[in-house]
Amino acid sequence: MRKIILALMGLTLLTGTAFAATVEEMENSFNPYKNGFPTVEGIKPGMVIDANNWQVAEDVIDPAFLQYIQAGYYSIRIGESFSFDVNPNFIEQTKARLGKAKLGDKPGQISNADAGRPFVEEPSLDDPRAGEKLAWNFKYGHSQGDEWLIDPWFWKYNDMKSGKKERQLRFNFHFRKFNHRYLTDPTKPAWTPNPSNVFRSTFLTVEKPFDVKNTQVLVQRYEDDTKLDNSYIYLGFQRRVRRLSSGQTTDAFLGSDIMLEDFEGYNGRLSDMTWTYLGTKPMLVPMYKHNEEPTDDEVYTDDPDGYRMTKFIGTGNCFPDVSWQLRTVYVVESKPVDPNHPVGKRLHYMDVQTATIPLTNVYDRAGKLWRSFTIGYTHADFDVKENKGTDVVMYNFFSMVDPQVMHCTTGQFKTVTSSPSTTPNVFTVQHMRAVGR
Amino acid sequence: MMKWKTLGYFTKITMGGAICAAGMLLGLSTHAIAADDLDLSGFVENATYIRDGRGLSKFRNTAQLEVMKSFDSSFFSSFSFNGILRATYDGVYDLNDDEFGKDSQESYLGQNWHSRGDMTTDLDLLGGKPILAPPVAFPCDNDKQLCSNLSGYMDLDENDVKFPDFNDEWDFIREFYLDATIDLASGDQFSVRLGKQQVVWGKTDLFRVLDVVNPVDYSRQNIYDELEDIRIPQWILQSELRMGPTGIFDDFNTSVVWNFDKFRPNTLGQSGQPYAIVDAGAFFSTYINADAHPGLAPLYPLGPVPVIYDVDVPNWSLSNTQVGLKWEGVYRDTTFSLNGLLYRQQMPSLHLREHPAAPGSGLPAADGAYTIEFPRVKLIGGSIDYYSQAIDSVLRLETTFTQGEELVRDKNGYKETDMFRYVLGFDKNQIIPLLNKKRAFLISAQLFGQNILDHEHDMPDYKSNYTGTLLVRGWWDYDRISPAIIMARDFRSDGMAIAPSIDWLPTDNLKITLGANIKSGGKKKFDTVISDNFTGQSMPNDYEPLARFTNGPIGVANQEDEVQLTIRYSF
Repeated sequence: MRKIILALMGLTLLTGTAFAATVEEMENSFNPYKNGFPTVEGIKPGMVIDANNWQVAEDVIDPAFLQYIQAGYYSIRIGESFSFDVNPNFIEQTKARLGKAKLGDKPGQISNADAGRPFVEEPSLDDPRAGEKLAWNFKYGHSQGDEWLIDPWFWKYNDMKSGKKERQLRFNFHFRKFNHRYLTDPTKPAWTPNPSNVFRSTFLTVEKPFDVKNTQVLVQRYEDDTKLDNSYIYLGFQRRVRRLSSGQTTDAFLGSDIMLEDFEGYNGRLSDMTWTYLGTKPMLVPMYKHNEEPTDDEVYTDDPDGYRMTKFIGTGNCFPDVSWQLRTVYVVESKPVDPNHPVGKRLHYMDVQTATIPLTNVYDRAGKLWRSFTIGYTHADFDVKENKGTDVVMYNFFSMVDPQVMHCTTGQFKTVTSSPSTTPNVFTVQHMRAVGR
Repeated sequence: MMKWKTLGYFTKITMGGAICAAGMLLGLSTHAIAADDLDLSGFVENATYIRDGRGLSKFRNTAQLEVMKSFDSSFFSSFSFNGILRATYDGVYDLNDDEFGKDSQESYLGQNWHSRGDMTTDLDLLGGKPILAPPVAFPCDNDKQLCSNLSGYMDLDENDVKFPDFNDEWDFIREFYLDATIDLASGDQFSVRLGKQQVVWGKTDLFRVLDVVNPVDYSRQNIYDELEDIRIPQWILQSELRMGPTGIFDDFNTSVVWNFDKFRPNTLGQSGQPYAIVDAGAFFSTYINADAHPGLAPLYPLGPVPVIYDVDVPNWSLSNTQVGLKWEGVYRDTTFSLNGLLYRQQMPSLHLREHPAAPGSGLPAADGAYTIEFPRVKLIGGSIDYYSQAIDSVLRLETTFTQGEELVRDKNGYKETDMFRYVLGFDKNQIIPLLNKKRAFLISAQLFGQNILDHEHDMPDYKSNYTGTLLVRGWWDYDRISPAIIMARDFRSDGMAIAPSIDWLPTDNLKITLGANIKSGGKKKFDTVISDNFTGQSMPNDYEPLARFTNGPIGVANQEDEVQLTIRYSF
């Protein structure tokens, strides 16, 4: 009996210790800067890192951007570091499920992770699955909220050698999470009805130019990570909805520099990659207050609320005119499982606080830098008025630069979280047909 | 209603020019108008095609204006108006009038797709005339009798086909409809679309199986133009109950289609036009030289017998309107639909008129051999699309069963027969690293099948026939260059079509398409008893008049190899 009591006491102690440690780690995960932001000698807000002084920031600049700065393509403007507080609903969901999420035997399998951030513990280089855990944190992150609308979204295809804009597309995108919801009702992270257990749906419409106008695409991503997406396409010149085979995730989206797999940092199945955590480090990342940054006065000038798009500058107008701040990132490597995959590996720089991936470098099979993908995140209080006070990290530009062929695709967009027009009906085949022209 | 036929050449040019100019001007001010929630767009286009041995076969100039306006409404969750205006002028009739138009001539019926046969060879028995006379191009410009007999169908004059959108049906209004949706308390949506519109049921390319709500205009470019451009919009009321995700289905929908427009058959193209599917228009505008037969001459004192006596296009009445019903849904990796349609056959059915003085002889009446009818048809059908993760491909099945269709017979006029049609489709996006490492190719293959369930040996079509199609499209240079190849093979008739093309987008507004369309086939003969009966001897060397159905639209067009250049500027 004494042994049993001691054993129970030990178990209680262990559990309590584990729980306390996890709460602390959760707080560190969501608020990593309570003791201050990282600093680097010689780097101060307001300064510009360019081809003449890049040495001062060499250790905290993404390798691709270091290359661009050295070549004179771009210079980085340093801004103040500030916190992107995470929405309290999401934190509460995480707290209620602390320590419950478990990886399955195989990559792409997870259990007890229906809401919140699944793995809040500081990753360890000794944990062979630490990278995979961070990938799940990214996938189930709070970025953009439960549903969001990007309208308008301008894509430009630019030749960096000539500086010529070759093509400009205009889209609108609707996104909706059917699981892992936290804003609408944190006690009900799963939307019903959801008979096929869809994790997230994306519905896009091309508005311009004429050759792809009225093209619509609907993508249903399932909670089961091992299942391929179900995709549908409506072509304006055919006026019908057809299913799409969705396995070619390395296909260049509408001919741009972006593979389907590249979206948001990584947009494929986690099980298609081998994930490795490589370390934690301070880094300059494009996270800023959009309303205090320079804006583009040409691409979109008739917003009813006066919203303006992020301005692009530098060689080929491929780089964002935003301030970069020093933050802490996890360095995560993803390598394709498929030996025939054109990508050799990706290096993701994942923001610790938000679990977003502002910077991703894509390397080819020869190990040479192929492309660099940058996503700009703004604090919601300094963005579209609808986003204010939501504590949701919002994106509003991207840039994919291909230094091998000197070409880029840029995206400028206005993102509204909890948009009333992003209803469940939008994500149906019938809706595509109904609004198809 | 204004009669466009009465309008002159220059009036139509002026109207077309006005639409074109309005489109361009509105296009220039699109930004200002878009701010008011009015979406205006459109294009101007020139399509110039050169046909081997014939020269210019198309010089089509099109201006299209598309309007979409959304309205705020407290009652509807969405309410909008959509309109498309199109003005077309095809200059081929002015620029190559030796080959096409009212002055064009054929030495014998079917000259543009086969060598002479027994029906089209001059016979001593008939005083040096063939049994079937050469066709009359544009009967309404050249032959009052034929024009009168064809009234209501195939009765366009050259001016009409130069400006095909400006007709009595006001086809320059391609679309004109209101769209309204109401959110129901149950969470479902009820929507209504009312006006002139296209209703697209099927998902096939080139050929139609389920997609038969609207008739089509084959005179534009046979089967090769996009269906969106050749469907003939109709005045239709379409209502839908969209239930979205349910307990079982990921999406579920019920829709009712009421085509309350006057029935319109498919436009086939007339004799004298560059595109006339299965050359039917030529057959309809010819004569039987029965009067030249020494034994039959007394029966035909009026002269040669027109092949067509009359066209019975159903008048508008409530009972002549067409109704369809569709259930559609998504269940996991499968999309499905069940369809039913009460409509009329859109292809003409020929009903033989026997000479009243010779009942039972099969001899045609003196004032015309056949009447064209469009019988009522009942259709049930369905479709299934399945995405297979194992092969990362989409498999499609679309099928219909119809009752009431009529097919022509050699010995006995026509026969009503049940028909079973289907298409098996395979779609895949595939990166082929050897050709393009970055961009996936679209590969789409289809196998169409048609079974005539009450087939007779004297029908000029196969009891079972199959047509295969293959589309491969790729993209290079950031999607600004896109080559494609389309192939179609009619297996039983040995018809083959190959259509390579390449699109080039020099700017976001300009597209230049260079293509070719190469066909073969048309070698199948069909031994008609007409020549035997006329001559009293076996004459098996017949193409006319029925082998056009045996060879089908691909084979009959075997002498229509073309190089095609299309330039489109959009705004």
